[in-house]
Amino acid sequence: MFPKQYEALQVMSHAVVGFPNLDENEKAIAGLVKSGVKLIELQVPFSDPVADGHTLVNACHDALKHGGSVRATLALAEKVCAKHPEATFILMSYLNPLYRYGLQALFEKAASVGIEGLIIPDWPVEEIEPWLPTFDELGLSPILMVTPNTPLERIERIAKASRGMIYVVSRMGVTGHQTQWGEDFQSYLDRIRQYTDLPLAVGFGVRSADDLNALAGKTEVAAFCSKYIEWQRNDGSDVAAEKMEAMIGEVSA
Amino acid sequence: MIRSDNGYFGEFGGRFVPEILLPALTQLEDLFFQLRDEPSFWQEYLTLTQEYSGRPTPLTPLRRLSRQLGGAQIWLKREDLNHSGAHKINNVLGQGLLVQRMGKKRVIAETGAGQHGLATAIMAARLGLEATIYMGDEDIERQYSNVFWMRQLGADVVAVTTGSRTLKDALDEALRDWAASVETTHYVLGTVCGPAPFPEMVAYFQSVIGEEIRQQALQQMDRLPHAIVACVGGGSNAIGAFGAFLDDPEVELVGVEAGGRSLDEGQHSVRLLKGTGETGIAQGYKTLFLQNDDGQLGDTHSIAAGLDYVGVSPILAYLTQTGRVIPDSASDAEVLEAFSLLMKVEGIIPALESAHGLAGGFKRAKAMQPDQNLVINLSGRGDKDIFNIARAFPQAEWTGFLQREALRSKELLAETGGQ
Repeated sequence: MFPKQYEALQVMSHAVVGFPNLDENEKAIAGLVKSGVKLIELQVPFSDPVADGHTLVNACHDALKHGGSVRATLALAEKVCAKHPEATFILMSYLNPLYRYGLQALFEKAASVGIEGLIIPDWPVEEIEPWLPTFDELGLSPILMVTPNTPLERIERIAKASRGMIYVVSRMGVTGHQTQWGEDFQSYLDRIRQYTDLPLAVGFGVRSADDLNALAGKTEVAAFCSKYIEWQRNDGSDVAAEKMEAMIGEVSA
Repeated sequence: MIRSDNGYFGEFGGRFVPEILLPALTQLEDLFFQLRDEPSFWQEYLTLTQEYSGRPTPLTPLRRLSRQLGGAQIWLKREDLNHSGAHKINNVLGQGLLVQRMGKKRVIAETGAGQHGLATAIMAARLGLEATIYMGDEDIERQYSNVFWMRQLGADVVAVTTGSRTLKDALDEALRDWAASVETTHYVLGTVCGPAPFPEMVAYFQSVIGEEIRQQALQQMDRLPHAIVACVGGGSNAIGAFGAFLDDPEVELVGVEAGGRSLDEGQHSVRLLKGTGETGIAQGYKTLFLQNDDGQLGDTHSIAAGLDYVGVSPILAYLTQTGRVIPDSASDAEVLEAFSLLMKVEGIIPALESAHGLAGGFKRAKAMQPDQNLVINLSGRGDKDIFNIARAFPQAEWTGFLQREALRSKELLAETGGQ
């Protein structure tokens, strides 16, 4: 289930499938759910992840050495969706691994194992639109991205094609760097809200409890991903989950 | 002129990039579409290439070598005589004109062999722009002389250490930079690949090669050539040479890819031959990529860093599919043989990339008749390959020189403290 418009802030976090390895993914996801994370992206690792910063690029390359793949992602999704019905699982992937699997077959399989949403950063709205009837039939929500330089008429088009929520890229650049949450950011959110009643998930640069508190009341979802993967790499999945729980505890309701 | 159908060439091409890059690509496309229809813009471009890069480049007959091989008359289109030593400068000078019109002050580029990076650094120096060049760590080792010159020219050369640390990773990294800097920075993509409008735009600037071949052939041979052969990495020199002949079915167009050590996985960069590249979508466009069953882009190899790339121009993927372009490949060993032959018989030092075109062209010429003409596009000169050639033909004298030079360089550094 995706949140409703103006509901209190929820945290979305991340698993790169195969990082640090496939067994650890299951444990890490259980830890995230227990720590209060409501939405989890399962990222299919890719050899050439152009929208990601170094944390996720390196995690992708490590994951590929440890069995990460589209098939491994679907297998993991089948397990975790069944085990954690309270959480919402979103398939995040660059287009090519999915294309190679076969898009129609992939979407059917993903929906059947319990995936609720899709984030595909290199698949622009023009290419997604013809698939909307398929997504609606399967109950899969394409979550499209809006960026600070997206022109208004394009925001409108993206909003129309999006389901579940809209992914708001907080600033220019790739994942894994700090963002400022000032007046410009608020007017950016207002610009998007003109065109949609969907909840907004803000990502890129959400790296601390301060960031979450800054976003609380402004947006429905905060994507806390690269920093979590850094915790996972440096401290292991158990400590990463503890840090997540402590951080979510610091967010004022 | 090669025109896409809304960014596509048959099923290939398109624009598959993160949303953040779309406004810049649209802006570039609007500007390019407007300028390419103005005859004065093409004239401005030609004048620039003439004044700065010595165009038109000659079409040189290889009389001695043709006699020796006993087949067709072989001609070389001398892109090696461009300023910077390769055809890459054509595209870069053209994009420089666009940068000036857009008013951007910084350029970035990916580079494999370093020829495109070098050309970009040259253009940036001339126009007073800041330049950042992304280059795979492995390619930096293979083509250090170009890195040296790029830095001397004032460009910032960034070593890319992710993935296979070659051209594809440099392209990824350039796209990441652009996602953060797109409002002030132009991405000078170096080949006929990537998201629309790059394939079409780079093909437009490189078409000067084929236009010249056509005029020169009519003058020097009194007819069109029977075949045109070019090496294919991304495909820009090939598309450039072929473009003016697409509607002349009697002219055979042959693209020679890097056969590497063998056709085993990871040992070559052949994408157009059956059983090699598969349709995929990555790095902003749809084409034939070397990839595994999971859609992960594969490892590649070539003796020539500039051909060591996992994808290929969507235009060439399409023209191969329609049968207009004939795909061929040359192994590392065949390339070295062709390299030596040209040098010893005709006194021309080719780039290892271009020597793939030579290997494929010589083979083809042998099977043709003396009254037929075959043009090979010599896309670049070989000075940059001195270390690679020295490695391919080991000599005690060279090793001794390197040791003495290393010592001298170390002493000089100790004396001056690197100042």
